[in-house]
Amino acid sequence: MAFNFNWSPLTADAEFYQRAKEMLTTALNKSPKPPIIVDDILVNELNLGSVPPELEILEVGDLAEDRFRGIFKMCYSGDAFLTLQTRVQANPLNTYLFSKPSFTSPQPLAASSGLTIPLQITLSEIKLSAFIILVFSKQKGLTLVFRNDPLESLKVSSTFDSIPFVRDYLQKEIEMQLRTLMMDELPAIIHRLSLRLWCPEYMAKEDEERAQTEDLDKVEVVVDPFGSPPQDAVDARGNVLHASEISSLSLDGSSEITSLFSQKNLLRLAALNDSHRTLSLFTPSIRDTVFRAWAGPFERGDSAGTSTPVTPSLVRSQSSICTTSTTYTFNKGSDDGHGHMPSRPSLVSLNSATTGLGLGAGRHSRSHLRKKKNRVVNLRKSKTTDDITSESGESEGSMTPASEPAIPTRIPEEPEDNIITPPRSPSGRVRFRTTSIDLGDSPRKLRLPTAARPALASQRVPEQAILDPTSTAEKSQPTAPIFSQDKLPSYNNRSAQFPAEKNAMSSTNRTPYLEPAPMLSDSTPPGILEQAWVLKMAGEMARRAHDQKVVNQGFWASQPRDEREDSPPPAYEPNVL
Amino acid sequence: MLEFMDYIQQAFYEGSHWNYENSYSQLTATARALLDFDTPRGLRLNLSSLSSPNFATSYAIGSVGLVDGSLSYLYTSLPLRTTSQSGNVDLHNVIRGYRQIQELRRKEESWMWERWQGGRRIDKRDTLLYGRLYLPQSTLEGLYLRRISPTQQLKLSVVSDSRLRNGGTVLALHQYDVGKYNAESLYSTDGGLIGFRGLYNFGPDPRKETTEQPPRMDDRFYGRFSAGAEMYYGSLNKSGGVSFGGRFATLPAHKGTPLTATLTLNPLMGNVSTTYAVKAGENLALCSKFDFNVYSYESDLMLGFELWRMKGRSEPRRERSIAAKLEWRADTIEEKATPEPEQVMGVLKARMDQNWKIGLLWEGRVKELLFTLGTSIDMKRRDQPFRVLGLELQYSS
Repeated sequence: MAFNFNWSPLTADAEFYQRAKEMLTTALNKSPKPPIIVDDILVNELNLGSVPPELEILEVGDLAEDRFRGIFKMCYSGDAFLTLQTRVQANPLNTYLFSKPSFTSPQPLAASSGLTIPLQITLSEIKLSAFIILVFSKQKGLTLVFRNDPLESLKVSSTFDSIPFVRDYLQKEIEMQLRTLMMDELPAIIHRLSLRLWCPEYMAKEDEERAQTEDLDKVEVVVDPFGSPPQDAVDARGNVLHASEISSLSLDGSSEITSLFSQKNLLRLAALNDSHRTLSLFTPSIRDTVFRAWAGPFERGDSAGTSTPVTPSLVRSQSSICTTSTTYTFNKGSDDGHGHMPSRPSLVSLNSATTGLGLGAGRHSRSHLRKKKNRVVNLRKSKTTDDITSESGESEGSMTPASEPAIPTRIPEEPEDNIITPPRSPSGRVRFRTTSIDLGDSPRKLRLPTAARPALASQRVPEQAILDPTSTAEKSQPTAPIFSQDKLPSYNNRSAQFPAEKNAMSSTNRTPYLEPAPMLSDSTPPGILEQAWVLKMAGEMARRAHDQKVVNQGFWASQPRDEREDSPPPAYEPNVL
Repeated sequence: MLEFMDYIQQAFYEGSHWNYENSYSQLTATARALLDFDTPRGLRLNLSSLSSPNFATSYAIGSVGLVDGSLSYLYTSLPLRTTSQSGNVDLHNVIRGYRQIQELRRKEESWMWERWQGGRRIDKRDTLLYGRLYLPQSTLEGLYLRRISPTQQLKLSVVSDSRLRNGGTVLALHQYDVGKYNAESLYSTDGGLIGFRGLYNFGPDPRKETTEQPPRMDDRFYGRFSAGAEMYYGSLNKSGGVSFGGRFATLPAHKGTPLTATLTLNPLMGNVSTTYAVKAGENLALCSKFDFNVYSYESDLMLGFELWRMKGRSEPRRERSIAAKLEWRADTIEEKATPEPEQVMGVLKARMDQNWKIGLLWEGRVKELLFTLGTSIDMKRRDQPFRVLGLELQYSS
């Protein structure tokens, strides 16, 4: 295996420096500036130099044409330089008074009058040394995280080099700003840019996407990751450092577009969808799957007008018969699937918004999560990467913020296509994340707002009538359990953390209300994440079917919805965390 | 408009015969009042009371963002006999405008403060204690003011706030004022700032008894020239600042138009600032300020005015009496010895700088409420010129 790091092509792009300067300028002016800087910071000159950074591959967790995960050690001591221009307040008394309470201010008459001086700062001899965790996927974009403070040293030369006090002050301030820039701003910038570059469907309007939903393949075709030049992602970061990795990565996998989902799964889901559409009793067996009616958390919330989808809520889905297990789904709107709302603001407002995004958003959301938690997760791990999984899990743990809940937070790194593999021991495989997994919406939650729904029912009739597979399933498979298998210990542990919910659940879990959820699995659920994914798929399929029907026939629009008018059991009120 | 507690402090200065204005820091008080006035933000309500001559309370609630407010209490050992009712208070005392400097008064001798009873001195130094708690920021302000002697005053200001470095700051200010000159020294725990300020008044020394009247000529300015300097040094951060200043202002006895002109220099930073204020009429004052920096060539011009709107005294229309008509004469008009003081309806203040930033302030009284309505307008931003809009209401009893 060979990596090809291109450093010089970066500089060949004429537009690159211009764009990098703009990005840097905005990034530098975003964080609150110290009072001594009285003007915007402008990036005057930027040169990446000719010496590329040294990269040492410590670990490659996942490698395919469309995705990559790895840990690098990077050292850089090149000749890149950066010239900034701004204006500073030269009167120390003025800055001294800036943030002091006026009550104890000495209130000088004119001694604090300002003198602003244009200042030019040149940053050179930048020495960086860092461990970088890089996760790349066509769907999720590029996530780059520094595991440590990358800045080792740099030389700040400015207009005030002759005054040691000012020089030291500037050096200190600039180093501080740069550190925050690299640790906080840079990953965000990179991610945003990579999304824009590699995932053009996120930029598309939602209705366009809805128009495309008829064809699964179409979506995948749209996701043409490397149609755009990979250099853009590099300059997006505006940083000298890791440019080579990204470019090389992108160049590596540029040729092919691979299908994201296994054909087997798609076929099964299609069959399942068909069976529901036709009220057929046949249910293809898909392991580790819970069928959900709606793929996205917003649809029902919006239709009911009651729930607030963005607030984190705890939704419990639970087996209906002869099991005691529960699956907790933590839905935190800002964290998962729809955390990238700014790029697609209309997603929230439209009920069927998630339809077109079913596949893309499902995967994409996790990339957000990972970025946030500094996690490296592979959904499509090859059969031999179990050890890597555990390794990366450990490394993740070390990076996990201290404020994270004590609940074990591992993402099941399960190959998507090993559904037919025999169930493994649950203890090592089921990992759970509190705030991460976007399961779309569970049927329970979806049913919550029924009481408030009649007001809006008239507008919603077609969609709900179609999209309520629970009703059809109710007729066809009233006794189907969600999880048939014995329950995982980790699940039980988790449920112990929410005794209230559990009690409520146990009191209600025999209600016929719960039964309609169709069950798709007869083996050990390997992981929430995978379930979530399959759920999304299922929801997606249902969506598509619905859309097609809406287009084709009006019969479903007139479907009675009376079975859904019953109010939900109180135990399924959304728990706002 | 002065807040109630500031108003009470002014009353304390007055009651203890302290010349608040004879200080270098008040050299440009006129220009500050006319040009650098604060425009209120949001809605703010003040409820205050001078419940006894020695004790005052004030509550404020505002709506800047969230609801915030403050509680303040003030105790003074000097009984204050000032009008505290917002319905009766003289607006000239609570609205800062053109500051007419007064003739220097002779300071009391320290023996004048002595009071003896049964062979023991019983006089106490006048003290003022003031505390203010801001909620929900949990910021505490405290003030300790003590007249040490007729010529000296000590002022300790404290702010306690967890967000400040070291949890708070203390400023100690010692003022020495003999009329002819004033000297102040201060120390701030924030950065170990040490400062000295001094002001010297040219002209007759109020300490010396002068029998001869100063020559009065109507075509000459009759005023006072004052000069001063200040110096600061931050002992911890090794920074400092210096400025010099001078002021010429006419005294009340001046026959012509009252005016005040100041010049301040900051030699370290190369800053020159001049202000010129004229009381153009009974109810109108104009002010201009020009700043120039000799190092950076930056300049700044600011213009402002204040206009006092008086309630027109409606003269009762007089009918000639029958007796006067019969006698073919006009009624004798009895002149009042002292004309009734005009009622202030309100004060309009406006300022504008060369960047087309405009500040407007309308202060006045409605019924028993004192109000301040202000806005600042940025004419360069056409889309949303109104940057700040605020209304402040005060009621005190």
